[in-house]
Amino acid sequence: MKADIRIAWILARGSERREWYRILLTALGALAATDFALAAVAIAAVPGQVSIPYGHGLLDQPGQRAGVVLTLVLLLLPVVGFLGQCARVGAVHRHRRMAAMRLTGATPAQVRRIAAVESAFPSLPGAVAGVAVFAVVLASTGHTPYPAAWAGFAAVVLAVPVAAALVSVFALRHVVVSPLDQVRRTVPDPGRRTLFGFLLGSVLVSAAAMLVTLPADVRSAAFPLLVLALVFATGAGAIWAAGASAALLGRRLTLRARRPAVLIAAGRLAHDPWAAARTHAALLLVTVVGVGFVGVRAVLLADLRAKKDVLPTDMGFYTTGIGLAGSAVLIALAISLCGLAVGTAESLTTRRRGLAAQAAAGVPHGVLARAALLETALPLAPALLLAGVGGTVVYLAYAAIVGGPVSLLPLLLPVGVYAACLLAAATSLPLLRRAVHPSELRFT
Amino acid sequence: MNARDEEPAPGAGALISARGLRKSYGKAEALRGASLDLHEGEILAVTGPSGSGKSTLLHCLSGITRPDDGVVTYGKESLGLLPEQRLGELRRSEFGVVFQFGQLIPELTALDNVALPLLLAGTRRGPAHREAGEWLERFGARGQAGVRPGEMSGGQSQRVALARALVTGPRAVFADEPTGALDSLAGEQVMTALVHTARETGTAVLLITHDAQTAAYADREVWLRDGAVHSASAGVLAREAVRHEG
Repeated sequence: MKADIRIAWILARGSERREWYRILLTALGALAATDFALAAVAIAAVPGQVSIPYGHGLLDQPGQRAGVVLTLVLLLLPVVGFLGQCARVGAVHRHRRMAAMRLTGATPAQVRRIAAVESAFPSLPGAVAGVAVFAVVLASTGHTPYPAAWAGFAAVVLAVPVAAALVSVFALRHVVVSPLDQVRRTVPDPGRRTLFGFLLGSVLVSAAAMLVTLPADVRSAAFPLLVLALVFATGAGAIWAAGASAALLGRRLTLRARRPAVLIAAGRLAHDPWAAARTHAALLLVTVVGVGFVGVRAVLLADLRAKKDVLPTDMGFYTTGIGLAGSAVLIALAISLCGLAVGTAESLTTRRRGLAAQAAAGVPHGVLARAALLETALPLAPALLLAGVGGTVVYLAYAAIVGGPVSLLPLLLPVGVYAACLLAAATSLPLLRRAVHPSELRFT
Repeated sequence: MNARDEEPAPGAGALISARGLRKSYGKAEALRGASLDLHEGEILAVTGPSGSGKSTLLHCLSGITRPDDGVVTYGKESLGLLPEQRLGELRRSEFGVVFQFGQLIPELTALDNVALPLLLAGTRRGPAHREAGEWLERFGARGQAGVRPGEMSGGQSQRVALARALVTGPRAVFADEPTGALDSLAGEQVMTALVHTARETGTAVLLITHDAQTAAYADREVWLRDGAVHSASAGVLAREAVRHEG
């Protein structure tokens, strides 16, 4: 292991600019993960009933604090998705390097360990920076954390780099690099696995739906199960839809496309349809949660307004909680959009020689730019539609259970997300201009 | 018959012995029952036209690729049956591999590239660097120690790649068109350095080339055509025929 760490360190020191982007983005992801985890630990360490002058008393009771802690922990999910996206930056180049190491005698396990340590390196300064940010925020509030929190803080700082390394090991678990630079995944059909997840989720949804038909007291207990099952099923289904529709659209459009941009995008989708699904996975899950949340929020607020005069505490207590959950959804959406932007930029960087060759052969820049946007737009539309339907079912079920009004506002969310995705993908277009420069053809 | 064409009895005293190798990529058959022996300390050139299966033969003999059929024996071990872990160990300590393009790692300096097999084996960086420095010296590339592959010429890269292939004191080096991307002068320098070092250390070299001038450095030459090994004289006759047709 010592030798692996030594080699990973030498490799990190000699990294080129693209690798430094990955290191910087990974460090930022680690910073966010550390701050969410530290905040969760700090709140979880608060004992019993206290009076905290923030959030309209939302942090005073252990029960509500548990909800805040859960929200902060759930925010780690899009961060993990973002870190996974960062791990893919320069993946092709890294695989080539891994193959060269295999050629000089590194075993497959050794190569995976070195790659994992390489991922952990940038997470460590990211975690330390996260602690610094957290300390500044804490100092500005004038609060000292409870003694029980300190051990948790230390555990977070150590756990974040370890978790980043584990994410890398997880991402590489099926990758076998041969010494001849042939990267092979031992699980050949990601679509089948995603479809299995979708079917499993559907079974859970059916089971939860059956529970809804039971008496009222059991019914309310069934709702969280219904939500979880629906989010799981719709998320897996949306990811599968993204991959399957990319494959189908790619095949069909390759045969029928009349515009060069569509033809180029279709060819790319047909070649690797699951690349889109991987990039959009976190975003689709956030959309399911987002649509469901916006709908449930409308029902909750209407219910609160109706009971305004009989509420046991002030309205601000409830709206702050709802607002906090909404902020979490927005933060998750922002992180997922950043992941999409990173994924699109990475896709362009990986293919820069091919793009430069197309530009050198006379393909206009505008055509390549439109093709890059279409690669995001085409598979995302059906996937977002499915994600929107899943989220809608969640809030319709909730409205049916509590008997609240049904808002149409959540239906606009997938449209907004779609526009934001196109904008996020468009942020990589300046990179395209540099990537298609014929000088790229001179370098490997 | 030319002394270079004399082939020892199959498998007798061979360092690496291949028998009846078959390998296909889809419907294309790269090897069709190829058999070959590489003896301790000999320099063996495998020549043949493009697509004859030369590189595939090298990949099978060095344990990089497993043949579909046939056996490659190294000592008492059959390479086709060895786990990846053991094949990695063999490439790290017993075999060295050099390709047309050095396969150097761009992030590492020449010194670190040469030291890599030693570092992978757990040698500390100081001793690994000392050893790597000596090998760069042997190949006249000491001046490139701190330089990264992207800043080196083709000839310099190949010298570094050769130093890396030999740094662990392997018993066999597999060189696939090591001068293929070089001009004639640089190619000559690289081949002289390789042959000189191999003779000095008693390392066997399997040299894949389509260039008769490069093949001339070898003790023995075999000709590969349509995935099967023939004697060098067959190759000479084939080349003559092509020349006459031209």
